[in-house]
Amino acid sequence: MTQILEINNLTKKYYNKVALEDINLSFERGKIYGLMGPNGSGKTTLMKVIIGLHKQTSGSILIDGNPLSYKTKANVSYMPTENFLYDNFKVKDVVKFYEDMYSDFKTEYVLQILKDINVDTEFRVSKLSSGLVGKLKVALALSRDVDIYMLDEPLNGVDVLARDVIMDIIVKSHNENKTFIISSHLVSETEKVLDSVVFLKEGRLELSGDAEELRQQHGLSIENLYKEVYK
Amino acid sequence: MEFNNNMPIYLQVMHRLKQDIIAGKLKPGDKMPSSREYSQELGLNFNTVARVYKEMEMEDIVYTKRGLGTFITESSEKIESIRFEMAKELIENFVNGMEQIGFTKQDMLSFIKETNLMN
Amino acid sequence: MFKIIKYDFLKKYKLLLITIISSVLLNLFLVVKLGVSGSISFLAFFPMAMIFLYIGDIIKMYSDDLNKKSGYMLFMTSNSGYKIIVSKVVTAILEGLSILLLYMIFIIINSIYISTAQGFELNVNIAEVINAVNLVLSGNLGFNLGHVFVFLLTAFVVAINFILTAYTAITIRKSLFSEVKLGGFLSFVIFVGLNWATSFTTGKLTSVVSPYYDNVTNFGNIISATELVMILLPVVILSAIESVIMIIGSGYLLEKKINL
Repeated sequence: MTQILEINNLTKKYYNKVALEDINLSFERGKIYGLMGPNGSGKTTLMKVIIGLHKQTSGSILIDGNPLSYKTKANVSYMPTENFLYDNFKVKDVVKFYEDMYSDFKTEYVLQILKDINVDTEFRVSKLSSGLVGKLKVALALSRDVDIYMLDEPLNGVDVLARDVIMDIIVKSHNENKTFIISSHLVSETEKVLDSVVFLKEGRLELSGDAEELRQQHGLSIENLYKEVYK
Repeated sequence: MEFNNNMPIYLQVMHRLKQDIIAGKLKPGDKMPSSREYSQELGLNFNTVARVYKEMEMEDIVYTKRGLGTFITESSEKIESIRFEMAKELIENFVNGMEQIGFTKQDMLSFIKETNLMN
Repeated sequence: MFKIIKYDFLKKYKLLLITIISSVLLNLFLVVKLGVSGSISFLAFFPMAMIFLYIGDIIKMYSDDLNKKSGYMLFMTSNSGYKIIVSKVVTAILEGLSILLLYMIFIIINSIYISTAQGFELNVNIAEVINAVNLVLSGNLGFNLGHVFVFLLTAFVVAINFILTAYTAITIRKSLFSEVKLGGFLSFVIFVGLNWATSFTTGKLTSVVSPYYDNVTNFGNIISATELVMILLPVVILSAIESVIMIIGSGYLLEKKINL
């Protein structure tokens, strides 16, 4: 099955707003997707529904042909945009947590990444700058060995050099079995690795397609296309 | 390598490779890095590089030997024709650019002669 | 499941350590200042204070996971809702039993102190210690160790039941009522309702069992610990059944309806 993630008629409503409306999307194995849109367009909500932190109002999601359950969570690595780590844990304790909770977690790998991006494992999470927390979150998410990676703003608050390292890690982790869904405001820095893009607007699917085809068709970079779409 | 995101990236990589072949940086029969290695070198998605290799194979610029890798063509005719294609493209761009600033084709020829650009 | 429990304890081990040390220091302080009455005050004060701290800590443990972003750590893992709620209850039980154990130790040590302070000769062997404890409790508190044990265990089951009503309300708030206006208020209403239902049913059950109460005019002096167990058994069984229902209900909501 090449469709690793299928989203059918997905709607998510809150009592005072509609976060996602009738979303139909298909994600293929082995591709890197850019999930784009301004704040409030539904990108984060979509990811949270896929990982099971939010419950959809209607519609269905299939991961590798299976409906969402606690079991499908084992095959998804999600990096939330928020700081969700246990405050009073040291970085190394957080690493231990991941090692304990996820059988696919690559401890040596994450420790190497953390070394490469200058995150001291003895520090408490509460004492880390937001840039370091950002790097830590990404490192943890990319050290899982799963079929679907969802990164919500992986470059947020991260310094320029580390951004390159992170993009490099993403490219290195990527293979024909792994699917990445990356949401990022920094379109220009992420677009060259994208296979496909998905644009969300006010909870609706605005546009989706192959990145190179869109460049050819519109004669615009994905970033410039974004500006056009959301003008 | 810097990329212009306003046009397909795979085309830019192909263009660069063709330039390297003509310039002799890539010799006939040279082995190309795997699409994986090359993509990591360029910081690109390996699918993009795989596409580059595929397109170039369709144009007979490279060929794949199962299990051994991808190689630059050994045909000097092919390489010559690439050179020709690129030269043609450059000329076309030149002509288009000059026309946009008001030169006719005749003007262009005279201009080249006068300014000794060919010496 | 053990991993979830392990990390819940890891998160609070400093707090537990501080509590133990403070209790020991308080015990010493009261004994130094007030002698035997200080010791007794401590033994009376400790369970009262600990019940509040315990219930507060256990409820906070769950509330944090459902209300704070740090809850994502737990809920992104591949654990079923049932496993999560059961883990929390097991943690609650382990923590409660630890506190009970701690209290037992305080009782024994303070009893030894009280007996020696009051001039009784003490050969240190188990039989003597238990004797001393019984004498002390009967003399100063009106019960023996058996009674105390039964009361504490009952209080424990009732506390777990109470905690689960809070857990259920919190779970409902973050699932069924997550997208409903005044969801917080409605969940609180459910919390109150669950506890009212518990007391109501307990009351009914007690009146059914009331013939047994006719024997009791004076606790401690009249009934044995075993008889006490018979009286309290209906309450314990009822609480246990309700607790199981709430565990299954919350587990289902966590599994299928959770909206963090």
